[in-house]
Amino acid sequence: MKKFPLSAVALAAIVGGSAATQAAGRDTISIVGSSTVYPFATVVAERFGRSTGFNTPKIESTGSGGGLKLFCKGVGANTPDITNSSRRIKQSEFNDCQNNGVTEIVEVLVGYDGIALANARSAPKLELSLKDVYLALAKDIPGPDGKLMANPNKTWKDVNPALPATTIEVLGPPPTSGTRDAFAELAMGGGAKSIGELKALRDLSADKVAEIKAAMGKLGLPDGFYQALQDQKGKAPKGEDLFDSIAYAIREDGAYIEAGENDNLIVQKLDANPNAVGIFGFSFLEENGDKVQGSQVDGVTPTFETIASGDYPVSRPLYFYIKRAHVGKIPGIQEYAVEFTSNKAMGEDGYLPERGLIPLADEELKKVQADVKAMTPLQL
Amino acid sequence: MSKQQSLKATEAIQASLKKRYARERRFQWYGRLAVLTGFVFLFILLFDIVSKGAPAFTQHYIKVNVDLSQEVLGLDPGASEQEIFSADYLGAIKTSLREMFPGATGRKEKQQLYRLLSIGAEYDLRDKVLADPGLIGHSSELWLRAHSEAGSYLKGQVTAGTAESERKVKDLQMTWLDQLRDQGRTESRFNTTFFTEGDSREPEMAGIRVALYGSFFTLLVTFAIAFPIGVAAAVYLEEFAPRNRITDLIEININNLAAVPSIVFGLLGLAVFINFFELPRSAPLVGGIVLSLMTLPTIIITSRAAIQSVSPSIREAALGVGASKLQTVIHHVLPVAMPGILTGSIIGMAQALGESAPLLMIGMVAFIMDAPAGVTDPATVLPVQIYLWADSPERGFTEKTSAAIMVLMGFLILMNALAVYLRRRFERK
Amino acid sequence: MDTTTVFLALLLLTVASFFMGRKRSHAVAAGQGGARALHSLPKHYGYMAALWALLPAMAVLVLWLVFENGILARMVVGDLPATVQEMSPSEQGLYFNQVVSYARGATDASMLDAAQIRAAEHYSALVSSSRLIKALLVLLVALCGAILALRRIRPALRARNHVESILKWILFSCSFLAVLTTLGIVLSVLFEAIRFFQTIPVVDFLFGLEWSPQMAIRADQVAASGSFGFVPLFVGTLLISAVAMIIAVPVGLMSAIYLSEYASRGFRSVTKPVLEILAGVPTVVYGFFAALTVAPFIRTLGESLGLHVASESALAAGLVMGIMIIPFVMSLSDDIINAVPDTLREASLGMGATMNETIRKVLLPAALPGIVGGILLAVSRAIGETMIVVMAAGLSAKLTINPLEAVTTITVQIVTLLVGDQEFDSPKTLAAFALGLVLFFVTLLLNVIALYVVRKYREQYE
Repeated sequence: MKKFPLSAVALAAIVGGSAATQAAGRDTISIVGSSTVYPFATVVAERFGRSTGFNTPKIESTGSGGGLKLFCKGVGANTPDITNSSRRIKQSEFNDCQNNGVTEIVEVLVGYDGIALANARSAPKLELSLKDVYLALAKDIPGPDGKLMANPNKTWKDVNPALPATTIEVLGPPPTSGTRDAFAELAMGGGAKSIGELKALRDLSADKVAEIKAAMGKLGLPDGFYQALQDQKGKAPKGEDLFDSIAYAIREDGAYIEAGENDNLIVQKLDANPNAVGIFGFSFLEENGDKVQGSQVDGVTPTFETIASGDYPVSRPLYFYIKRAHVGKIPGIQEYAVEFTSNKAMGEDGYLPERGLIPLADEELKKVQADVKAMTPLQL
Repeated sequence: MSKQQSLKATEAIQASLKKRYARERRFQWYGRLAVLTGFVFLFILLFDIVSKGAPAFTQHYIKVNVDLSQEVLGLDPGASEQEIFSADYLGAIKTSLREMFPGATGRKEKQQLYRLLSIGAEYDLRDKVLADPGLIGHSSELWLRAHSEAGSYLKGQVTAGTAESERKVKDLQMTWLDQLRDQGRTESRFNTTFFTEGDSREPEMAGIRVALYGSFFTLLVTFAIAFPIGVAAAVYLEEFAPRNRITDLIEININNLAAVPSIVFGLLGLAVFINFFELPRSAPLVGGIVLSLMTLPTIIITSRAAIQSVSPSIREAALGVGASKLQTVIHHVLPVAMPGILTGSIIGMAQALGESAPLLMIGMVAFIMDAPAGVTDPATVLPVQIYLWADSPERGFTEKTSAAIMVLMGFLILMNALAVYLRRRFERK
Repeated sequence: MDTTTVFLALLLLTVASFFMGRKRSHAVAAGQGGARALHSLPKHYGYMAALWALLPAMAVLVLWLVFENGILARMVVGDLPATVQEMSPSEQGLYFNQVVSYARGATDASMLDAAQIRAAEHYSALVSSSRLIKALLVLLVALCGAILALRRIRPALRARNHVESILKWILFSCSFLAVLTTLGIVLSVLFEAIRFFQTIPVVDFLFGLEWSPQMAIRADQVAASGSFGFVPLFVGTLLISAVAMIIAVPVGLMSAIYLSEYASRGFRSVTKPVLEILAGVPTVVYGFFAALTVAPFIRTLGESLGLHVASESALAAGLVMGIMIIPFVMSLSDDIINAVPDTLREASLGMGATMNETIRKVLLPAALPGIVGGILLAVSRAIGETMIVVMAAGLSAKLTINPLEAVTTITVQIVTLLVGDQEFDSPKTLAAFALGLVLFFVTLLLNVIALYVVRKYREQYE
């Protein structure tokens, strides 16, 4: 026992320290959620903390899924008040919330995040169409006979003769990422739509089973696939479901490199490797203009203006969700939300757009502000 | 044995000796080479970090003639402290900047002008006025914090060489900054903010205070738990444990825990300490417990190895003169094994100091501005701060990241120095 | 009195009981021929009294701290008006949270109703009385324990055996903690893993050759919700760890040998801690180093040799990871080799062996169990490392043993799955728990094998 006087002192300090703050009633807002919303939420939190009498909210970066899981765990001081999300809450999560007593959730749309395709400044700027993106990155594409085959394209030139003959090498987010989902839906889906057979399949509704099966036959899909999809969904799939699963699958033969979610690293890797193309958030493109350049997609270069106006096709909404039961119980929640949605923050000249958040259109913003003021709960 | 034969044997021996000595020399060189390799890698890493991180220790200030008249601040005479707190300091700064550079007229140009100064300048000014309300009512020349982008130009990290569209500091801002510099209105100071402030989203205002406190509290908890328990477990397993199933079970478990990825310990912390025992989230207490569970195997395994290597003669001598098993261990075995135990513990603690993955699950990967006062207040730790900054879009955080790494390594060196000192003290025996 | 003071007072009392116990043992022995009549040394009686004073009181203190908050909350809420009583427990919790923040002075009264302000006063009063009772109770228990122990002191009392058996139990429970930790880990991943295995069959998971958490569509690809095959991840983990060990073991071991056998004392005492810094460099730094310096270098080198190298190669990640674990191998081996008795060295050298031969034929075999332990530890660290692999080798799960290709590891997948944006009940996230569980059992198996191998070898050597 006498051997460890040092640890005894340390232990004393711990017991003392924990006692000093043990019965702490929480008076600081607790926020969890998406790492994409994190850089914006923290800017708001910092200003909120510095300019008001409230404590600076604590913001954890847990990922959207983890955030919603914590958020929906229940009501009480040991659960978060707000969760950030880079996608909309899913029905299953909403149900989970309801079951755990989190009945009233306020949804706040904060703006959009552009997803940029970019390469190094030292390489020529790419001018892509969504179709090029799809043909370059899809796992399977329709072959000359109309049947799906493993993507044979090795260089950008194979995809589109106008493009340079460099190897396709794209650094992008992994399948678990919200950025990846958005990219798949907007870019890959958008590109696949420009291919006739796939577009036709997409337009078929669930009741046209025979036509769907015929379209599948033309694409060379096995019948079992329809069944599998039906089992998974629990009902007859629409043509669109089939389309989604074809279009959103990204190749895994090394052309698309799953590079983790550190966008700074992707930027630096692009700088080191002029052949590579990267997929990452617009704010990183803006901040690193000396190293990387955004590729044109369908004739539009990703800039602040083109994303805000909706001309640039690849951007996704960002949200946060407020637990209404905590409003008025934990000090500052509504004030924080008001600060976040104020013109000073989210308006066109606000400090969030300065950080690369694409602001809402005026009407959308007004509606969001009104919702925050009234704390209108979300219905799903 | 005839003389000839023995001569032959001697020759053979001498020939083989030559070979053996050559081998000996080669072997020694391998050793030197190995040590050198380690040094080279260390040097490369350190050089990389220091060269990137050094600029973060300076911060530029710009001298601005701020008009603090009551009209500008929007204050009535005899305003209360609360009113002074919420006066329009940003407006005052903007007005003063416009007066200094009347050339900036368009909206874009004005925005660029305001961006010379940090957002924190507003709060700095507020604090200055609150500390000295006498400033209200007239203009004074005040040093205000420069924006990190302006700072990067003043530090020479950005030059006019690159095209304007490719950099954040615009041509106009550069001419303004050149003017200010020529007038002696810019100054580079040691960046105390870096040590005295918590996290911030403005690179020029960000500091590691919360992370330092958090790391300190977390390591304190880790050490207080892991060291005594680790050594006790090692002593038990080496000296007392009977050879039976339970001992085997414990032994395998310990070895296995060493290979469990650290994030799984985070899952354990979340399930057991936060969800079951309802300890607070984001607290160094939970972080410390989780890290101590994570480092325990390292400490136990290394301590066991150290105890194992204590020569049996020492034990036998002690037992022979009538000491009990426990006395033998405490008085004779542990002191001899102490250098090894300390090495293991220091390695374990260094590992804990640098670990961030398990802390993610228990909420310590977070934006926290207020320093914790105890082990149950929300806090973050140095490696997490580094990770968060490395992931920030703002360019100014690159140097902060490296600077924070330098601080972390500084602590590591301190810990190692402590280990050397302790090792020396114990090795004298 | 706050807890720190109580704790310090308790420590004081413990020390005091030690001295009293020792004194009393002298006193009881005085009549029977002095200290020689005692069964144990006087200080053992002291230790016994100290333990009796400390342990039960510590237990009381810990229990008090654990239950204090809950009981106080119940007492305060119990006195609140009926409207509050009817609230759901979580609402009550929020309501009470406000009471506590107000009582601590953290919030002002504007958000509170009158009942809450009364409750806050009640709460403050309760807290101060709780503190007082706690202090009194703990010290009382300590005092009782000490007195009880003191009264039991007789010359015939086997104090040493008594103290030692208590300490032995403490030692045992310390090592048993490892089993509890294991249990905790298994329990905390088990339920989610079971949910995962309800969607993906165990066999598909364990023996699947493809890891691709996205939809598969062609006939030759199975499973509709993506394939979750464990094998590519496992092979990737082994591959990267193997590369790391190929770097770390020779460099680390040779450094250790050089330092302990050839280098001067001064050189050793400086070099060792300096190289140990390598172990503490944050892995983010290694990650950037691997991804931006080493990987492009390997790629250029490989291409100049006509090899195809992926820009994210297992080799880069493994190399850098190897650098990181050099100190593990070095530092631990050095201590072990250094601890081999000098007699062995001298005997070998005296026979005319060179240092090199002594090391290889005498020292290394003697130190082997310890070295193997150190290497196993280093392997464990390599398996558990994430950041370097995420940054340098990426996340593409390819089933290959070519270190020039991109692979990924189990840990990396666990981390990315957990912090991803997917909903938590999708197989994509639940897979993380399954991976954790399976990895746990795989390493367990390896450890069981290692234990038996090492034991067999050790018995031969001894």
